[in-house]
Amino acid sequence: MCNFNGNLVAWMDGELASDIAVNVEKHVQSCADCRRQVALYESASRDFTAYYVMRDQSQPVAVSANRIPRWAPYAAAVVAILLVALMSLRPDKPAQIVSETAKVTTPAVVESSAEPARPTQSQSTPVAHQRHVRNNSQAAESPAPSAIQIAIPAEAMFPPGAVPEGVAYIASLAPDGSVQSIRLQP
Amino acid sequence: MSGDSISLSLPLSRFATDAYEATTLFQELRKPLARYLTGLGLSPEEAQDVVQDSFLQLHKHLAAGGSRDNIRSWLFRVAHNGARNCQQSYARRMGESLEPIAGAASGEASPEQVVLAKERFERLNAAVHSLSEQERQCLMLRAEGLRYREIGEVMGIPVSTTADIVSRAVNKLAEKCDV
Repeated sequence: MCNFNGNLVAWMDGELASDIAVNVEKHVQSCADCRRQVALYESASRDFTAYYVMRDQSQPVAVSANRIPRWAPYAAAVVAILLVALMSLRPDKPAQIVSETAKVTTPAVVESSAEPARPTQSQSTPVAHQRHVRNNSQAAESPAPSAIQIAIPAEAMFPPGAVPEGVAYIASLAPDGSVQSIRLQP
Repeated sequence: MSGDSISLSLPLSRFATDAYEATTLFQELRKPLARYLTGLGLSPEEAQDVVQDSFLQLHKHLAAGGSRDNIRSWLFRVAHNGARNCQQSYARRMGESLEPIAGAASGEASPEQVVLAKERFERLNAAVHSLSEQERQCLMLRAEGLRYREIGEVMGIPVSTTADIVSRAVNKLAEKCDV
C-alpha cells in the first residue's frame, strides 16, 4: 500500500492543501494501485450517498414537509416594505400613527410607552391576545416619549413549518426607526 | 424560549435582511437537515420538529446579532444536538428498513437485476452497519455536501480528526462492497 493512501479520500474531496494535492495528483497518475483505490473510494462514496438518499425517500413524508408556497421567499420582503412604509408615515403625533396603521391587520401595531407595562392581575390576558391599539386619550395622557411596538406573526415572515404556530415577534422601534428590541413571543 | 427578550440595536433593513436570509436558508436546508436527522434515527415527524426548532434558534441567533459565518454548519450542529435530545428515537439506527430500499432500487428491472441490486444493497447495508456511529454521521454530513471543517464544527471534533474518520469510513465501505 502506498504512503499516499491515507490522503486519497481527502484528495478526492478537495480537502488537501494545494501543494499536497499536487503531489497526490502526480502520484495517482503514475500509480495503478492508487488509481484503483480511488475508483473504489468513489464507487463506495456514490453507493453510500444513493443509500442515504434512498433510505430517506423510503420514509413516510412528514405532514408539513411539502407545504412551502412559492411566495414564501418574498414574505419577508413584503413585511419589510410594510415596516418601511410605516416608518415613512411617522409624524410628530404618535396617536396618528396608531390610527393610520390600525387598519393594517398584519403586522399589528401597538403604541405604548418606552417601558413595557408590567402585566397586572387585571391584565392577565395572554400577551398574544393583547394586540390592540390603545385609545387616543390614553396615549395623549402619557407624558413619556413613545415607542412603537409592532407585532409581526412569524408566519408572515417565514414559510409554514419554519417556526411553530402562534409565534410572533414584537419589535420595538425607536423614533429614529431603528429596532430597539425584539421579543420572540409565541 | 417563550417570552425571551433580545435587546439589540439593529437598523430596520438589517432586521428585514435577517428575515429574508432565514427564509432562504429554510428553503435550501430544510430537506437536507430532515434527511440527516432521519439518518440519525429520528422519525420524519420528530425530524420535522427538530428542523423547526433549529430554525427557531436561527431566528433568535440572527435577531441577537449572532455571527453569520458558517450558518450552514451552525444549523446542522443545532439540529444534531436537537436529535441527541430525542434519546428514545436516537436509539434507532440508519439502515433498519432495508427491504423497502432494495425494493425501491429494483424499480422495473428484470428479476436478475433485482437479485443483483438486492445483493448489492445488502452488502452496502452490512457495510454501513459496520461503521461506528461517528463514521456514519461524518459520511452523512459529507453526503450533504459539508466540507470537513463544517463536519468538524457539527460533530465538535478537529478538522484533522474529521479527515481521518472520513477516510477510514470510506475505506471500510470500499473494502466491504468490493466483492
